[in-house]
Amino acid sequence: MRIDRLARGIGKGVAVAALLVWSLVPIAFVVTSSFKPGRDIFAVPARYLFAPTLEHYGALWSRWGVFFEGLANSALVTAGAMVVAVVSSTCAGYVYSRHKSRVLGASLLFLIVVRLIPPIVITLPLFPIVNALGINDTHLVLIVLYATFFVSLGTVLMRTFIDQIPRELDEAAAIDGAGRIGILWGVIAPLALPGILAVAVFVVVFAWNEFLFAFVFTGTATKTAPLVVSEMLGSIDGVDWGILFAASTVQLVPVLAFVIVMNRHLVAGLTAGATKG
Amino acid sequence: MPNRRPRDLLPLVAPVHVLILGVIVLPSVYVLWLSLTASSFGKAPVFVWLDNYARILADPAFRSALWNTIVIVVAAVHVELLLGLLLALLFASGLPLRRLLLVCTLAPYAVSEVVAVVAWRYLFDPDAGPVTQALHALGLPVLDWSFEPLHAMMLIALLTIWLHLPFTFVILYAARLAIPAELYEAAKIDGARPFQAFRRVTLPLLGPAIVVALLFRYIFAFRIFSEVWLLTGGGPARTTEVVAVYLYREAFSYNAFGTAAATAWIMVLASLVLALGYVALLRRQVDVDAH
Amino acid sequence: MTDTTPRGLTRRRFVASTLGSAAALSAVPAWAQAKTLNILSHAVHERVLGKDDGDLLRDWKAANGVELVFTTFDSNPLQDRLFREASLPVTDFAVGYIIDNRPTSAIAALFEPLGPLNAVAPIEDFADIAPGLIQGLTVDGNLIGIPVRHATGGLFYNEALLEEAGIAAPPTTLEELIEQAKKLTFTAKDGTPVTGMIMASDLAVFPVSFARAFGGDYITKDFKLLPKPEAMVKALAALNDMFTAGALPRSYATTKNDDQVTWMQQGRAAFTMITFARYAQFNNPEQSRFPGRIKAVQFPKSATYDGPMAAVTEAWGMVIPRNAADKDLAWAYIREVASRRVTLGMARNGNGPVRVSTYAEPAFAAASPVAGEEAKALATARGAFPPFPEAARAQQLFLEDVQLAVLGHKSPEAAVESMVSRITPLRPA
Repeated sequence: MRIDRLARGIGKGVAVAALLVWSLVPIAFVVTSSFKPGRDIFAVPARYLFAPTLEHYGALWSRWGVFFEGLANSALVTAGAMVVAVVSSTCAGYVYSRHKSRVLGASLLFLIVVRLIPPIVITLPLFPIVNALGINDTHLVLIVLYATFFVSLGTVLMRTFIDQIPRELDEAAAIDGAGRIGILWGVIAPLALPGILAVAVFVVVFAWNEFLFAFVFTGTATKTAPLVVSEMLGSIDGVDWGILFAASTVQLVPVLAFVIVMNRHLVAGLTAGATKG
Repeated sequence: MPNRRPRDLLPLVAPVHVLILGVIVLPSVYVLWLSLTASSFGKAPVFVWLDNYARILADPAFRSALWNTIVIVVAAVHVELLLGLLLALLFASGLPLRRLLLVCTLAPYAVSEVVAVVAWRYLFDPDAGPVTQALHALGLPVLDWSFEPLHAMMLIALLTIWLHLPFTFVILYAARLAIPAELYEAAKIDGARPFQAFRRVTLPLLGPAIVVALLFRYIFAFRIFSEVWLLTGGGPARTTEVVAVYLYREAFSYNAFGTAAATAWIMVLASLVLALGYVALLRRQVDVDAH
Repeated sequence: MTDTTPRGLTRRRFVASTLGSAAALSAVPAWAQAKTLNILSHAVHERVLGKDDGDLLRDWKAANGVELVFTTFDSNPLQDRLFREASLPVTDFAVGYIIDNRPTSAIAALFEPLGPLNAVAPIEDFADIAPGLIQGLTVDGNLIGIPVRHATGGLFYNEALLEEAGIAAPPTTLEELIEQAKKLTFTAKDGTPVTGMIMASDLAVFPVSFARAFGGDYITKDFKLLPKPEAMVKALAALNDMFTAGALPRSYATTKNDDQVTWMQQGRAAFTMITFARYAQFNNPEQSRFPGRIKAVQFPKSATYDGPMAAVTEAWGMVIPRNAADKDLAWAYIREVASRRVTLGMARNGNGPVRVSTYAEPAFAAASPVAGEEAKALATARGAFPPFPEAARAQQLFLEDVQLAVLGHKSPEAAVESMVSRITPLRPA
């Protein structure tokens, strides 16, 4: 019996170790290599002990100013997309939670089905539309695009979360004379905060990391950080891996920290989103 | 509230629908029209019926791209499911520092495709990558991904699995946690061994979650673009090209908007077919819930 | 049109512009009083113009009150974006950069014919600009672009590595090149594994050069596909032979132009073929382990072929979209960039100069010791293929077969056969 338990313990230990290696080693290599002296990055045999240096971060700062503009663009676009997606999803989720009708049911199904259209499909016609609206190369384009691709999931999520809030609360507030907007933002939204946070995590991670739309739609003024990193991969001066790792680290760390802090909401959102819609 | 008139609700549901209609639906309809015409820069569209679809379906490059996409989807999604299931069971069996390990498992979810490609390209660099060196040192065969199409596909699949395992895992883990412990107690009393308990209790009750995870991942894996574009660009010799990369080439390298649009609609149809299965499944679940 | 110098402001204009800017205040930043010229280009075009104290256009910008705003993309996305902009009802971009193998009749029609502009306000010493390049940008009798940069390929070699392997002189025939490349596939004294030659696999330039070395070609100016198929077979066989011997990198199929630069700078490859203008970058002491030791000659022909051989060249031209607003300002910019002074300045910054006279300038010869070789190569150089609507697709098919043959997945004969059957239907009727 004891041997059996010992064997199970060892088995689990090995499995956990494998899990950690799998999940963390690629990230760890990016981060540690960004502090490696340039000549050690491609050393054969690989060097695991080295004198850490900030030279790549210095070079990133002095040679790739556009990367920091990219970070600022990414931050602006991410924040904008998050606000648009959260507000519109909360409003719609509230309606879908509190009101049932055939039309509403059909429109919700429609939202979900439309979301299944691959984003690359709309890269073709959006350019003339964006141009006709005169918002070419503005942050607004990416904000709207990123928000749109999450409002259906967001709506379904918010509906699921708001479903759990007793209707009596709305009714009590209505008796106290609150209007619908008042009820939504005064009563529902605070209670549905876990849902709002879940939607926010999805949108933030997506918008911060997105590549395809940024690749097709941005010009010099709105290049996002992932796009600048991809340009470093194919730079006219040849790939400087040290700088590439430094930029990757800077791009990665904020969103990684965000996911770590918000992990509960991420899990709750994934669970609710996948099983309910 | 139920006595509200629908018109009052409109301002609340409108933003979501305006976004979806304006950004996804109308452009998709326009793409449908585009797919029935031939056009390029400086050339007005000419209506050609289904000619573009016929041309694409006859193009060996498209068929190979479709085949590659299916191979990646089938291989990556199923391996991902298996790993996710194992992980879910591992977590459910009780682990110390569970929350910390959970966070570590989720970490790749935060990584952008671009940075993931940077990491994996470096790890598997054919000359100096740490993994390549380690495999050499152990006398194991290395991934010759810049030369062997099959190896390149394997690397793409690995990268996809790495990026999306957290998603599959969380869905399965949540479903596993939802299984009441009494069922396992009962199975134990009946003398079931752990494997039998897994087969008779876990697997049947995880069934719906497994199907949901599979369908979700089928639909999303079918669009794979960035991983392939940034890792191999579809090479060597277009042998790892996927449908989304084919579409990108038609549209943005060859400026053949008709065939690009037709490719897009083939992707839409394929996704909708997969989605129909998903919706049918949801329906059944709703029915089951209702009874 | 909007040639308003500050002194030339009339009262009416002042009122109008004040009202205009008041109306546009929310959209346009206040500092936009200087005229803005939006340019769509590759990063390299902006870079060779220099910046800060080295800015070649600083005086011109100050004198004309112009601010230049570059939007830059990589080559392919750049061409796509340029044609997309030019297809709109109106575009903000008044100047674009185009590759000379792109303008088909339909594409050329999107751009302003420049002949009339040049007649009114001519470019300085227009005849000095290489006539071949001008011809490449003349479509249906209209000059639609002014050449600004050419990339003419030469054979670069690392002299230090050659010495180390006991090779006294760079190759004079293709056979010698292959032999030397094989010999240079070794581990250097400092432990670096050296590969004989590196070349990108996503550009037609390389297989076309090998084919021309045997007297063949890919697509001629009059759209003849593979005029001497046996030359292409020999070229592919030679490349496959090098690959099998390890004299091309194992990662050949994913090698890009940029890899050529890094590998040469780091001494990981002994030979490469790339535009002469890269000389400065290869020998830059900050980036290169072999400053001053990486030199270039013309790409050699096979000993079995004694006809003429044209180097492969690709040129960029400056164009004005027909739907651009301020064409006069655009033309003023183009005239300035095409001037002798700016051409020389850009050449010193690593731009292949389009003026014949630049090669004779001592300042250029000092900056680029390979200028003589470059001038010789340019004299007879020709594009890898002429523009036609399906050129990009044809190039992709061509490269696919080349890669398969080089990697040994297909025999050279089968590859050539496949090229003929697949590319023939794509040629213009």
